[in-house]
Amino acid sequence: MTLAPRGWVIAKDMSDDAADVQRVLAGDVDAYAALVDRYYDRCARYAVRMLGNRDDAEDALQATFLRAYRALNRYQERDRFSAWLYRILVNQCRSVAARRAHRDRVFVREEALLLNAPDRRPNWSGEDEEFVQRVLNELDPLLREAFLLKYIDELSYEEMSAMTGVGVSALKMRVKRACDRLRERWERIKDD
Amino acid sequence: MTDSELHPYVEWIAREASRPVITDQAARDRVMAAVRAEPLPRSYFGLWGRLVRPRPVSLSPVAGALLAAGLVGIGVLAGTVTHNRDGQSTVGQPRAAVASRLPVSDTVVRFVYVAPQASKVYVVGDFNGWDTTKTPLMRSATGGVWTVDLPLTAGRHTYAFVVDGSWSTDPYAPLAPDDGFGHANSVKLVRRGTSL
Repeated sequence: MTLAPRGWVIAKDMSDDAADVQRVLAGDVDAYAALVDRYYDRCARYAVRMLGNRDDAEDALQATFLRAYRALNRYQERDRFSAWLYRILVNQCRSVAARRAHRDRVFVREEALLLNAPDRRPNWSGEDEEFVQRVLNELDPLLREAFLLKYIDELSYEEMSAMTGVGVSALKMRVKRACDRLRERWERIKDD
Repeated sequence: MTDSELHPYVEWIAREASRPVITDQAARDRVMAAVRAEPLPRSYFGLWGRLVRPRPVSLSPVAGALLAAGLVGIGVLAGTVTHNRDGQSTVGQPRAAVASRLPVSDTVVRFVYVAPQASKVYVVGDFNGWDTTKTPLMRSATGGVWTVDLPLTAGRHTYAFVVDGSWSTDPYAPLAPDDGFGHANSVKLVRRGTSL
């Protein structure tokens, strides 16, 4: 399998990933830092959008990279490193969300500003991010997950299915429902 | 990026959420600190691990035949001598069961997947290293049923099908607990001596 989220900063040559993995397996732990550097930001975007706050996202990211490291042998036998890593990330985000479902966390503006330095995006307002994150948080987690994979990571439904273990038709329904919920929200607020 | 018919508000949400988040180096350093506290990935741990790690060995047909003959010969010689409890040995007849005591995969299991529209179906599992291209299923003459027969060792095996690139569980088999890697897998229990 060769799926990978579009827009990822994939290694300039796919053999870069394989070479780094081989170095790690040969005992060079520092080679794993190259893989972390290569994929951390993309994973962070999904984790933050999915979990809604930086602390939970960092927990999920740490667990993802640790789990991938422990099971590094298995990656070679299955598919591209980036896709394999992303599957682990999706699962870890599910686990973190389930563990902390009882907490009513709020994505505070300060966190939004920390995560989105204004100098990198002159037209980007922290208020917008706080608002968008709050809107995403209102979605059911399964709908949010499908929405993010479809429209943020721009995966095809087949790729999403391979990544989540959920059937294509069910994923299409989740994405549609997520879009419906967002549109309904717009209908409620547009006249305010 | 988004569907052309996407509602403008939904499209705006998607576009804004697509913006990257800024992470700091300290978070990555924490990941690497945790990684360094871990043992090396298991099968490559130390010299002994490398020595005992299973690996494929290429043998020419002649060398393979000689090796097989040698193993059978050892079995025949061993089968002719019986050690009594008092330490005495007696010579007996060679046993026909010698060959069956060699460590072979003992049970043939048929994997079946129904997919009339599929163009390629593979089975992946712990028995083939989860290789998505190693074990193709063959389409039946009628077209809709895909099968492959595999020799498996007795025990519990987890597996899945890859149908035109998409992973799928076996609808007629129980599911394994989540493996933590995003795939649902099926379970097959193989008993010694059972077949298909």
